[in-house]
Amino acid sequence: MNAVFFLLPVALGLGALFAGLFLRAVRAGQFEDLDDPPERMLRD
Amino acid sequence: MSALPAQSPCRHCGAAVEADAPKGAVYCCSGCELAAAIVDGAGLEAYYAGRSKPAPRPEGPARGLDQLHVETDAAGLCHATLRLDGLRCASCVWLTERVIEGRPGVKAVQVSYATGRTRLSFDGAVTDLTQILSPVAALGYRPQALSSAPVADRDLLIRLGVAIFAATNVMMLSVSVYLGWWQGMEERFATLFRWATLALATPATLWSATSFFRAAWVGVRHKSLSMDLPVSIGVALLYGHGLLATFAGQDGYLDSLTMLIALLLAGRVLEQRGRQGALAAAQALAATAPRVARRIEGDRIVDIDPKDLDVGDLIEVAAGEELSADAVVVSGTASVAMALLTGESEPVAVLPESAVVAGALVQEGALRCRVTAVGGETLLQRLARGLAEATDRHVEPGPIDRIAPLFTAGTLLAAAGTFVGWWLHGGLAAAIPPTVAVLVVACPCALALAQPLAVAAGLGASARRGLLFRSGDALRALAQIDTVALDKTGTATGGRPVVVLADDATLRIAAGIERGSIHPIARAIVEEASRRGLPIPMGRLLQEVPGVGITGEVDGTVYTIARGGPGTVEVRGVGTITLRDTLRQDAAATIADLRAAGARVVLLTGDHGDVARRVAWSAGIDHVVADQRPDDKARWIAAARAEGHRVLFVGDGLNDGPALRAADVGLAMGSGAPSTMMAADAVVAGEGLGPILSGLRAARAAERAIRGNLRRSVIYNILAVCAAAAGLINPLVAAVLMPLSSGLVIWGALGVERALSEKR
Repeated sequence: MNAVFFLLPVALGLGALFAGLFLRAVRAGQFEDLDDPPERMLRD
Repeated sequence: MSALPAQSPCRHCGAAVEADAPKGAVYCCSGCELAAAIVDGAGLEAYYAGRSKPAPRPEGPARGLDQLHVETDAAGLCHATLRLDGLRCASCVWLTERVIEGRPGVKAVQVSYATGRTRLSFDGAVTDLTQILSPVAALGYRPQALSSAPVADRDLLIRLGVAIFAATNVMMLSVSVYLGWWQGMEERFATLFRWATLALATPATLWSATSFFRAAWVGVRHKSLSMDLPVSIGVALLYGHGLLATFAGQDGYLDSLTMLIALLLAGRVLEQRGRQGALAAAQALAATAPRVARRIEGDRIVDIDPKDLDVGDLIEVAAGEELSADAVVVSGTASVAMALLTGESEPVAVLPESAVVAGALVQEGALRCRVTAVGGETLLQRLARGLAEATDRHVEPGPIDRIAPLFTAGTLLAAAGTFVGWWLHGGLAAAIPPTVAVLVVACPCALALAQPLAVAAGLGASARRGLLFRSGDALRALAQIDTVALDKTGTATGGRPVVVLADDATLRIAAGIERGSIHPIARAIVEEASRRGLPIPMGRLLQEVPGVGITGEVDGTVYTIARGGPGTVEVRGVGTITLRDTLRQDAAATIADLRAAGARVVLLTGDHGDVARRVAWSAGIDHVVADQRPDDKARWIAAARAEGHRVLFVGDGLNDGPALRAADVGLAMGSGAPSTMMAADAVVAGEGLGPILSGLRAARAAERAIRGNLRRSVIYNILAVCAAAAGLINPLVAAVLMPLSSGLVIWGALGVERALSEKR
């Protein structure tokens, strides 16, 4: 069970990594326009 | 004699190529030739094959690009967001993106077809916006500064992301802790989990939830208590208790806390998205302003900024261009669309000495005009200003905000009662846990979600059906409506009357006087005169009193044109002209449905009673208020409101401004004047009256959802507080109950779209 002391920070670190990725995606404006990209795919 | 062979239309913009152009010319002007050279030169000929609408006509170099906001990031890459006007079909997006991508130094570009929003990244050392966008401007697209910044939205989204990260991980930890209650758990693991929970809950509370604290503080300072206050108190209490409990080695309610913060923020993001989407669409409908003016200086023509125009300047306007000032035509003839002012997209013919107004679009021909008013003095700007004043409406606080203070007081009373009760019963140590539980479960998160989610659902549902609201308050006001007042011309009818009976002499004089007028009736008269091939005399308009009539001079005689009998216009002493207006296609069906929905439908019009009654009869309206001048309409609405009615007014023209302001909810037809749209609470996008009905249904469904949510969450809170006071609530029970109540409220809000889909 002592593995928990190691696994918990790993799990939280992974979570934080994804939160960070989300943050980057927001900053890059990926969530600003949710309507156009699906149409764009059909146009190209 | 054989007719001139018809030239095929311009390859680029589709306009007619001048008949005197060299045979075989494929472009109407050098601008289009240049634009086509850019397209061909970049290997993008596929654009001409794939497009569904012709390109906008080039208007000369883009201006003010150096003033657009550019952000430079740490890596030296520049980012700019702007709006591209003139996108007409998906191929335009394809073309502009390819052209911009092909410029040196450009790293990325993305153009949104729906809103024209364009995002650019480029190497600031190699190029600048002017260089990048010049070819796009040469193609006829107009780069513009973006009016609204999306910064707030991003910030909220990041806060939500952090809150969700915290909530999901805390949940994982808490499940382990709760399982430990039954299966046993070594204290060191429980301690680790509690501290990890606190570490996760801290950013969620101290950063993600700060917007609630701020809103609550603003509410307190302005003495208008909203739901943010009890929410903030709840969040602060939950976190404070969790902090102390963790230090004391006990379980707190931090799992409920993070979950609730995430749900509340999600509700707020949904609400903001719905509102911004509708606002952006309304802005796109209304966005129009001339970008460049061509001033004639001696024998040269100089491109200048419309701001630099002066009264008395001579300007040239060609097909495809908008007038940048009010002016009088000096030479040339053209057909001009005055959609801005009248809501009519059909062009009207203008000749020398006709008056033209800023914002009018020249569709064919070319004009030289003498400027009579510029900038803020143009008719367009004056009317827009008039409408912009006093558009702020007082909105009654919603049922949720009204009960917020009551709620807070009730919670505190319940907590005090619990504390005293347990203290007397079992002493101080026994009193604290149930008191904390009461304060915790009373956190009115479901209540706080109840309204924004339902409003967001209502805004979205009505936007998808063609009614764009400018605010959630307008949606709520619409739900209370019991009287629908429709303007006739341009709203109930398509606003295009046609002349059905007139003799040539009368028509000739009326057309001569009204040739420069933009009123639909004047246009019908001028069009009929042209259709009959009558030579239209050079009349002069002397005076125009909106809603009454005009006086003017033709061939040295002064005539008065006024409303005559039903559906007629009378040229005093000469004769009468009979006109007929045509009803919108879906008017009768929509009005029947509105009445079935319990609304009294009234036709409120400046026209004569008999005409109005005829239109009303064919539309199925039984209540007609005719002969109303713009101010009368506003007075009638005010009187109806004073009798206790809630009035929705639907109009389209600038003269409807006072009535739009006077009504509980003012709706503008999307085909109408942009400034009318800016004064209205909501805009009908697209044709027909149908969206009004959908909007009303959406508003009522949202209001029902709000009330249902209110009932559900109040019942939940009362039950939960009672249970807590009885000592039945522990952190596990709270962790199940509190998100469950929020879930119920979300389910209630989803009912709005469900209710509307079933009706369809």
